[in-house]
Amino acid sequence: MSDADSGRVRDRLDALAERALDMTVVERFALAVASTALALFIGLLVVAASGYDPVAFLGYIFEGSFGDSNATARTLKFGTLAILTGVAVAIAFRAGVFNIGVQGQFVVGGFVTVVTILWLAPLLPESAVGGVALMLLGTGAGVLAGGAYAAFPGVLKAYAGANEIITTIMLNFIAVGAVGYLVEGPFRGEGNRAPNTARLPEYVSLPQVVFDSPDFSLVGFGVALVVVVGVAVVMARTRFGYDMVTSGYQLSAAAYSGVDAKRTVVSTMTFSGMVAGVAGAVFAIMVQGYYSDPGGIATYGFDAIAVSLLAANNPLGVVPAGLLFGGLDSAGTHIGINSDVPVQLIDGIIGLVVLFVAIPELFRMAARRTGLGGESR
Amino acid sequence: MTPDAQPPAVELRGITKRFGDVVANDGVDFTLERGTVHALLGENGSGKTTLMSVLYGLYEKDAGTVVVDGEPREFDSPRDAMAAGVGMIHQHFQLVEPMTVLQNVVLGHEPTERGLVDESTARADVTDICRRYDFDVDDRLDEKVRDLDLGARQRVEIVKSLYRGAEVVVLDEPTAVLTPQEVDRLFDVMEELTAAGRSLIFITHKLDEALTAADHVTVLRDGEAIDTVDADATTEQELARMMVGREIVTERRPRSTDPGRPMLTVEDLHVVGDRGREQVRGVEFTVREGEILGIAGVQGNGQSELVEAITGLRSVASGTVTFDDRDITRMGRRGRIEAGVAYIPEDRQTEGLVQEYDLVKNALLGNQTVEPFVDGRFVDWASVRSHAESIVEEYDVQPPTADARAGSLSGGNQQKFIVGREIEHDPDVMVAAHPTRGVDIGSIEFIHDRLAALRDAGLAIVFVSSKLEEIRALSDRIAVMYEGEFVETVDPDGVTDEDLGLLMAGRRPDGLDAESDGSALEEEGVES
Repeated sequence: MSDADSGRVRDRLDALAERALDMTVVERFALAVASTALALFIGLLVVAASGYDPVAFLGYIFEGSFGDSNATARTLKFGTLAILTGVAVAIAFRAGVFNIGVQGQFVVGGFVTVVTILWLAPLLPESAVGGVALMLLGTGAGVLAGGAYAAFPGVLKAYAGANEIITTIMLNFIAVGAVGYLVEGPFRGEGNRAPNTARLPEYVSLPQVVFDSPDFSLVGFGVALVVVVGVAVVMARTRFGYDMVTSGYQLSAAAYSGVDAKRTVVSTMTFSGMVAGVAGAVFAIMVQGYYSDPGGIATYGFDAIAVSLLAANNPLGVVPAGLLFGGLDSAGTHIGINSDVPVQLIDGIIGLVVLFVAIPELFRMAARRTGLGGESR
Repeated sequence: MTPDAQPPAVELRGITKRFGDVVANDGVDFTLERGTVHALLGENGSGKTTLMSVLYGLYEKDAGTVVVDGEPREFDSPRDAMAAGVGMIHQHFQLVEPMTVLQNVVLGHEPTERGLVDESTARADVTDICRRYDFDVDDRLDEKVRDLDLGARQRVEIVKSLYRGAEVVVLDEPTAVLTPQEVDRLFDVMEELTAAGRSLIFITHKLDEALTAADHVTVLRDGEAIDTVDADATTEQELARMMVGREIVTERRPRSTDPGRPMLTVEDLHVVGDRGREQVRGVEFTVREGEILGIAGVQGNGQSELVEAITGLRSVASGTVTFDDRDITRMGRRGRIEAGVAYIPEDRQTEGLVQEYDLVKNALLGNQTVEPFVDGRFVDWASVRSHAESIVEEYDVQPPTADARAGSLSGGNQQKFIVGREIEHDPDVMVAAHPTRGVDIGSIEFIHDRLAALRDAGLAIVFVSSKLEEIRALSDRIAVMYEGEFVETVDPDGVTDEDLGLLMAGRRPDGLDAESDGSALEEEGVES
């Protein structure tokens, strides 16, 4: 590329960044919808080019995501987890802290939930009331554990200057390894051949509403929505949220206004980890009913980064973004079982959606950070 | 123009630029003669930078013609402008800090030999430019830009645009970041450049600078060119009248009559700066109710660190800060805000306002623990909004809406909003750091009035500025800071500008009548 060209690219980028920074929420949402459609369309071209029938493929996607009540339940199940982990990521990103360790916090939270319930179960009555109490206590413990596991890299960043991206990634490995060891040995259920904990008692499960599914309950989805609204309220209407979001926008202005930057990093990470802990608890109670080797558990915490970017790190935006992910995941499962189309194609489409939708948002974030498009201000 | 004369370097005819409903430039005519400095003078938001951005290809004009060297031109980007010999030095330098001076100058236009950067040619070319225009950066070509002070960085920017073949250089508020000495340097450089046939456009809102440095002055007001005059044939008063549409008089304000009890006392304060160097060395002072202590000095002599230590943004190495008989040395920023220490920060862009927030959200900045805006943990946005609206109205912020994004306001209006917000804290102590820097004349007067009114209402005010005239106009006492120490504390009525200038350079003039209030330094602390 010649000098003149690179200069032009820079100018165009500047103009584009200016435009992107001025976009309204509605414009951004419309852009996301258009990007999704475009990504799907290109995905279908790839499907056609690979020698499969794109129309049938499109049919599978709709069928697999909400074709019947099973498919819808599956979509909502994946969506619930994507939403909860996505909100966890969004909290941190909004505050300018890069919590890449949601997967680790999710695993630790879920494991602690199961262990707590198994430990407390003999102490409480074997009834529906006992089950609800156990679920609340277990979830509480999982939330605390997720929060603590995220607070640690927060403290390291605030008081020792350790880059949170690196520490949280390392802590993901540690969480998976440590919990893997614990379910393999000390906490393995009696007589289990697989490295799993004992099952949760029968009465510790979410009630079935509308859908009849072994691993989904509308109550779980409701929990996710309540958490989303709660987080949105905290971000938009509380002092803590204002301090946090202001730190994310402009650290020096936050400091000027009396925000303690170090404490905010720790509390942001803790808050983010607590929501990851809720995700872990919902996964453990609703989906699994026990805890297995986390090496084999899907990487919700990583998909969550894409979900959050898709939602422009807006907690309310995480709901449609999470459902989109849930739907595509669910369609992937369906296609894997019911057709000869390679399931990798669906992963490819998910990748395209992320690229198409998240790139404009990433560009906005990058523009804000690098000062692109700020010149004419 | 006689037929054989060369065409003007730049001619702008009837330039109109709109942003939505706002007309930033309204049919502006502007002619830059070859080999001259032409000042573009106007208050903040009068359209100076917009006009130059049209010339430089950053903005697309809605109407009008740009003529460079006698030829009509359409610039789509700064690249096009550069190619036609028009360069622009922005207020915020566009240099890569970890790279050397030489690398920065040739960046993007490196001379190459078989695809590799030909460093010796680059060095020879750049050295040649430096020698020709008497720039001092030629022996610093291998220093990293981050190690240079702001004045030197600016000269690197100028060398860079000359290296790229600029015949016309636009300087956007080039003196805003410079110390008085560096400003003189810059004016020398500008003279060298015009002597060598280059033409300069000098954007400023400072009357004296326009008169000193320019040959012609065009005054912009509300997007219109009011008049173009010869610098030799006009006066500051006349220019000021054109700028604001009325006469401005920098009158000395009445002094405080009876200061009350001590509100803020600083004892033997030592503060370490960002680079680990001690920036404040044993400063002591007391400010009483109903008194303005002016802190004068050339920027970078420890004023910023002193202010941050007082306001709680920087920890103190040793010494004490006492507020209303309470030791607040170890108190955090939020504690001090709550106690009643308000702060108009030096940097309104990065500290005083969140650029992406609207004014409503910015009204909460620093008010996060203040009722009724925050009740316990929850923010009452309705009351924050009405607070923001009342600030906008009371302090005449333009545009008059609390929904405006802070970053879209002009500097003066941003500052008025901050001043309003901080005053409405109802503080006991106000720390104002360079509150009028980069602010237009109308706003300066307004801010001065407000600070004087606060003093009369019994506040203790610490007022930091490097502008002598405003320090003298407003202060009840002036402490002059040099290399982290108070050289002397003087009575503004008993000191001349010359004496203040000497003190700012760290010298104690003969026969100076220092105030005997105990806050002056001992002899040994003074460098001579």
